[in-house]
Amino acid sequence: MFLEIKDLSVKIENKNILNGLNLNINKGEVHAIMGPNGCGKSTLANVLAGKEDYEILNGKINFKDNDLFDLNIEERAQEGMFLAFQYPVEIPGVNITPFLHSAINSKRKRMNEEEIDNLSFAKLLKSKASDLGINIDMLKRSVNTGFSGGEKKRYEILQMSILNPDLAILDETDSGLDIDALKIVTDGVNKLKTKDNSFLIITHYQKLLDYIKPDYVHVMVNGSIVKSGGSEIADEIEKDGFQKFQ
Amino acid sequence: MNIQDNYQKNRKNIFFSENKDIETHREKLINIFENDRFDKKNNESLKNINLKNFIDFNYKYLIPEETSVINNTHENSYSIVSVNGQCSTFKDDKIEITKILDEDYNDFSKNNTIEKNDHFVNLNSLFLNSGFKIVIKRNNKIKIKISNIVTDDDLTIFQKNNIICQEGSSLSLIEEYENKNNSTSNILNVIKLEKHSQLNHFLIQDNSSNHNLIITSHSSCKKDSTYTQKVYNFSEGYVRNFHYSELIETNSEADLQGIFFLKDNNTSNNKTFVKHLAEDCKSNQVYKGILNDRAKATYFSNTHVDQVAQKTEGYQLSKGILLSDSASYFSKPELKIYADDVKCSHGSTIGPIDENAIFYLRSRGMSKIAATKILISSFINEELSSIDNEQMSEIIQKKLVRYLSKVK
Ligand SMILES: Nc1ncnc2c1ncn2[C@@H]1O[C@H](COP(=O)(O)OP(=O)(O)O)[C@@H](O)[C@H]1O
Ligand SMILES: [Mg+2]
Repeated sequence: MFLEIKDLSVKIENKNILNGLNLNINKGEVHAIMGPNGCGKSTLANVLAGKEDYEILNGKINFKDNDLFDLNIEERAQEGMFLAFQYPVEIPGVNITPFLHSAINSKRKRMNEEEIDNLSFAKLLKSKASDLGINIDMLKRSVNTGFSGGEKKRYEILQMSILNPDLAILDETDSGLDIDALKIVTDGVNKLKTKDNSFLIITHYQKLLDYIKPDYVHVMVNGSIVKSGGSEIADEIEKDGFQKFQ
Repeated sequence: MNIQDNYQKNRKNIFFSENKDIETHREKLINIFENDRFDKKNNESLKNINLKNFIDFNYKYLIPEETSVINNTHENSYSIVSVNGQCSTFKDDKIEITKILDEDYNDFSKNNTIEKNDHFVNLNSLFLNSGFKIVIKRNNKIKIKISNIVTDDDLTIFQKNNIICQEGSSLSLIEEYENKNNSTSNILNVIKLEKHSQLNHFLIQDNSSNHNLIITSHSSCKKDSTYTQKVYNFSEGYVRNFHYSELIETNSEADLQGIFFLKDNNTSNNKTFVKHLAEDCKSNQVYKGILNDRAKATYFSNTHVDQVAQKTEGYQLSKGILLSDSASYFSKPELKIYADDVKCSHGSTIGPIDENAIFYLRSRGMSKIAATKILISSFINEELSSIDNEQMSEIIQKKLVRYLSKVK
């Protein structure tokens, strides 16, 4: 199994957010999680990425034959996990080039691969940026600083396509995007898709799933998965909302 | 030993002790020491200070054997080595370097911008044993680098320098303080900018932990002149940076900036003070600090706008990153405005490094330590990228890397 989440319960500030959540993802699969606001989708994404604010009450997570809780934040990324944040943080004064270059090289180091030199990295960054319709000027700015909502989301996908993760978690990457931007972003995801990597796509609306075809759709309510199935579930939600699952 | 006895014992070694006016002034200063209750609450020169160490000191001074001024005519640049606060005399058509004179002392003693109860400035006047005067002649554009060297352990240097930029002159001045001995330097720079002159003043401070540096400056700007001061404090020893500027004629500018990098048990006290005394002047006071371990710092900034100083623009900012729970940074901005048409602002943000930013960078695969370092660098990115002197920028980068290598 590629990612296996077993009976996961998580709380923050005395509030239980995830309640006995189970989820299995195999290599090469695309999974979508849909659920109403506040049901715990971002919490799940953050716990997977290793954010330390949460208290893990119960459960186990296996990722590529590792106990995920044995890996710190950067080790998870170096093992091939990537989270495209719902709200990417602005980091004034930090430019994407040195930051992402250092990030990709620490990943390669862990994988015993050769590091990328400055020049090749700059080329890679430029070509991926142009694929995503990100202009060169934006690469000169500080990470996410003063970016519009849509620009931030593209920037997340740019980072994803450079780091080429084994498991990409997209947390509401579609929200705040107009149709053109959504098309560019989903094209980026589809280009990256191979039989060896997996996607966990968190979304509030069904729209995104018109562009990225999921193999499985899960409905999350009150911190656990209440129904799983194929893309027909997304259509149900589109029609009737989440009420009948609650 | 009390101040009085200490002074009497070392008189022969102290500048201008034969001058009647100066004697009178010094007697007044001794009186201040004897009568002051050393009220820590209301005296910014006393914050975080073990005063006893500074007042009850062993006076020791050595006259230097060798000092030098090297002139590179091709580049209009001069390299000065000042030893134990003294410098050789030098003269050409662009600059003139001489000893300071009684009249420079008297001129300064009349100044009332620096508080009368700044004990370090008073000690400097009392025990003065070194200093020099540099005049940049009219309409010349030159560069000067001064290495301030202290030769021996246990020296107490009390130094007053005068820097005068004559009308239309432009000076880029780099001063280095990199001493590794157990000494104390108490330096007062009196800087005068005449009409249309410009001074870019860099101070690089990188002393070892047993070396104390107390540096005070007073600059005054006449019409259309600009004084820019950038302090980089990488010292492992105590440093006090107190810098005062007076904008005395219209359309002049003072820009007082500083960055300090502290660790271990080190302390640094900082103060900037700008007095707007004429219309249409601008000032900027920005200090940033990075504090690790149990380091402590204070920063007082102050904009004073006189009632005639209409159309003043005054800006103050203080920022700090605390890398440890045991580090502390106290900052206090102050504005005193007596004119009505002014634009003044101040801001202060001090706190630990942004955890969300650390998480973001780590979630891409960067180690915690690498993420911390990149965020520290970004904190001062604006200041570092605006250094327009390549040599300076390299020096600062190297010292930054050294500081970062100790961050765990
Ligand atoms: N740092 C936090 N402190 C307190 N409550 C939080 C915190 N983060 C999230 N929550 C709460 O946890 C619940 C789930 O939030 P989240 O995972 O962001 O939901 P979703 O992404 O599904 O909209 C919400 O009720 C939210 O208010
Ligand atoms: Mg969310």
